[in-house]
Amino acid sequence: MTFRQLAYRNVFRNRRSYAAFFLASVFSVMVFFVYSMFIFHPLFAEDGLQQLAVRGMFIAEVVLYIFTLFFLFYSMSAFLQARSKEFGILMHLGMTKKQLNKLIFFETMILGTVSTVAGIALGFAFSKFFFMIGREIMELEALPLYVSWKPFALTIGAFASLFIIISFVSVAFVRTKGILDLLQGYWKTEEITQSSKWLSALGFVLLAIAYALAAMVSDSTVYTMAFIIPPIATLGTYLFFTHSIHSLLQLYKRRRGVYWHKTRLVAIAEASVKLKDSAQMFFIVTIVSTVAFLTVGTLASFMSYTGDFRESNPLGLIYISFNGNSEEREHVDRLISQLEGKELEYDMVPLIVKRQTSTLSGNDVDIVRTSDFNRLALTLGFNPVYPQSGEGIFIPYSQESLEELGEVSVETRLMESDIDLSIDEVYPHVMFPVNTVNFNSIVVNDSDYAAIDEPLAGFGDGESTFTYYAFDIPDWEETVSVGKELTGIMQQAVVQEDFRDLNFFFVNPGEDYRLFKSSFAILLFIGVMVAAVFLLAAGSFIYFKLYTGLERDRRQYSLLVRLGMTEKELGKIVNRQLMPQFFLPWGVALLHSTFAFISLQVVWDEFAELSILGEMVFVLSGFTIAQILYFFLIRWRYIEHLRAS
Amino acid sequence: MYEGKVTHRALNQLSFEVEKGEFLAVMGPSGSGKTTLLNLISTIDTLTAGEILIDGVDPHGLDKNELALFRRHKLGFIFQDFNLLQMLTVEENMVLPLTLDYVPTDEMARRVLELARKLGLESLLHKRPNEISGGEAQRTAIGRALIHHPSLILADEPTGNLDSKASRDVLELLKSVSEESGATIVMVTHDPIAASYCDRVLFIKDGEFFNEIYSDERRQTFYQKILNVLSLLGGNVNDLSAARLP
Repeated sequence: MTFRQLAYRNVFRNRRSYAAFFLASVFSVMVFFVYSMFIFHPLFAEDGLQQLAVRGMFIAEVVLYIFTLFFLFYSMSAFLQARSKEFGILMHLGMTKKQLNKLIFFETMILGTVSTVAGIALGFAFSKFFFMIGREIMELEALPLYVSWKPFALTIGAFASLFIIISFVSVAFVRTKGILDLLQGYWKTEEITQSSKWLSALGFVLLAIAYALAAMVSDSTVYTMAFIIPPIATLGTYLFFTHSIHSLLQLYKRRRGVYWHKTRLVAIAEASVKLKDSAQMFFIVTIVSTVAFLTVGTLASFMSYTGDFRESNPLGLIYISFNGNSEEREHVDRLISQLEGKELEYDMVPLIVKRQTSTLSGNDVDIVRTSDFNRLALTLGFNPVYPQSGEGIFIPYSQESLEELGEVSVETRLMESDIDLSIDEVYPHVMFPVNTVNFNSIVVNDSDYAAIDEPLAGFGDGESTFTYYAFDIPDWEETVSVGKELTGIMQQAVVQEDFRDLNFFFVNPGEDYRLFKSSFAILLFIGVMVAAVFLLAAGSFIYFKLYTGLERDRRQYSLLVRLGMTEKELGKIVNRQLMPQFFLPWGVALLHSTFAFISLQVVWDEFAELSILGEMVFVLSGFTIAQILYFFLIRWRYIEHLRAS
Repeated sequence: MYEGKVTHRALNQLSFEVEKGEFLAVMGPSGSGKTTLLNLISTIDTLTAGEILIDGVDPHGLDKNELALFRRHKLGFIFQDFNLLQMLTVEENMVLPLTLDYVPTDEMARRVLELARKLGLESLLHKRPNEISGGEAQRTAIGRALIHHPSLILADEPTGNLDSKASRDVLELLKSVSEESGATIVMVTHDPIAASYCDRVLFIKDGEFFNEIYSDERRQTFYQKILNVLSLLGGNVNDLSAARLP
């Protein structure tokens, strides 16, 4: 047997203990490779949505690389530590430290090579499938498979560098402890270290502070808090797993009446040993899971934005023509002919909007007359309104403004034309999208409207009115590419931040909707894959810890069987000690995420005015189900292994 | 009779009785079937033929659950490598068999204290197994085997991992337990010194009965007799301790 063969056999025969984190690295390589396939796709050189996808995937690749580096770093150290007895024997037999380093280096490189090759092979095999998903999400006509050396080179380059770093670093993990220490092995460390009372209390206090701050976040503090809360919560979590939880168990154990009861004695004692032994692992798993929950949750909450889209955008197309727009007729005709060309049903209602200044606020107000407004309302299937002379009705610009304006009641005067108005009602539906309507817009009686004859202070007659062409299109999602030229001109103005030459405004909600939906779907797709890598890695830590303790557990169980424990009681003990390992880090992560989303809701309220609760519940229950399945899978394997003796 | 994976009769035509309160040693060369015998009595191995009666009950007729309860109530175990649970304290290891049976906490605490006094473990009750010596660990295991007043205590090379001083302590303890509390003990051992503490030594060879001798008053002469039988038994001479009785 040559030296290299020894290394090879070590890896191959330890494959069961390597299995979980080999799987996690393969999956990480696979996802990385699939992203590379997208990034180097010839079609993705274009601008727009593809550009967003490429950018998102690039960031995801960087995240994956860094995460995998840390993941392997931690796994290797734990793995090598678990094998210290084996290394002790080798050194006892006369292997030099240098040879041992060489052995570990070889082993790591073998693991790296195999995972990279397997990951790329899997990624390539499934790339057709991922391209199909990508094509659907981006609504591309076709996303053909292509062959290029670039994605291969990027993936191989990235992971070769990664595993070389890990190989060198992992050599350092086998500390030059005495042979005797190594020989005593892994489970020798089952010592009772007293947990500090102060640190335990501090753990709880820090978590309480972090949660309280998260719950109390407001618009003005949210950005500062984003930097303050995570470090507090992280430190709190660390202390919770390394001290607080053990103090709690210690208190529990003092109550013999409860503790010395049936299977509890063994189950609690065993669970506390496992929790203590793996405290740092639990901490890492918790943080990783929290990040995964937050990533997917945040991206899923983007999706809820599209869910609310139709409610805030009931119109199919909007064209607003301002003073001096010579192409008004031409643009509107072309829109109509394009709609007809696509055989889309539509109703067009032009509204002549007048502008005046409110004496109460000093802001300018956009005024629509009842007859125009009602025509549009009836077209959209909403109720008409009939304000009396001297009355006005607020026009809401978003779902939230509906509620806010409902509580407002004002007496004002239109300064230029001297018309007194009392406004204490809001129209109960959003008709005009937020970016096409003044925040101060009202409907007035036709006669009051006719009495507005003075131009807005400081402007001419022409600038004091504009025409709002509202199109109602039942098949509003089909309007993609209608008014393409107008959209193009608008975009250019947005890019150049110059609206001076623009005397019209055009919005195609159907197209916007598609764009929103696709970009959020792309981000969600990218995020879910990264989160899956995170969760798989977190799961592999747990599997690995269970596996390294298996020999010891097996001996323990066979003893318990001898001492007369029934199968049912053993099952209970297995459950009671596996459950905290699976659900404690996960439960804490869930709690963390819940509070994080409470503060995130504040950001969203400010931004897009929508609720992310539904998406959150969906995402978190999805992860819960996955975790429960994983628990049953591992429990089954674990019990099989225990029985095998 | 017993058949393993490779069909081989580990025990054959072996029949013996143990009196209540008797301290019996089973000796024989490696591979003679001592461990199989112990496993059969412990009910963790199954018979292919024949029967074993403990307190008049054949445990091999019981189902799995009843078997567990049988072991829990009727048997006590002492192992070569102590087999204490590392995560429990000395005291908790001792009460383990009782916790499964809803014994009131006061009663458990009382019994632990009583046993600890007898075993000389009073000052160690709150220590973990890795903080105490081998002799202390084995005494803890004896405590665990006695706490539920089993009908039969099975000891598998209880002194195999102990130095001679600790071995002597443990054997004297077992002897006094058998004499004072009338506990029945079956001990498998290689060590003629350990066997010389017993009331009777049963020798088996190749799974069959070979010989049995009873202790007379003096341990020195009993030890000599045991050595004589062992040399007749042949087997691997290296198995036998060449040491003279100290």
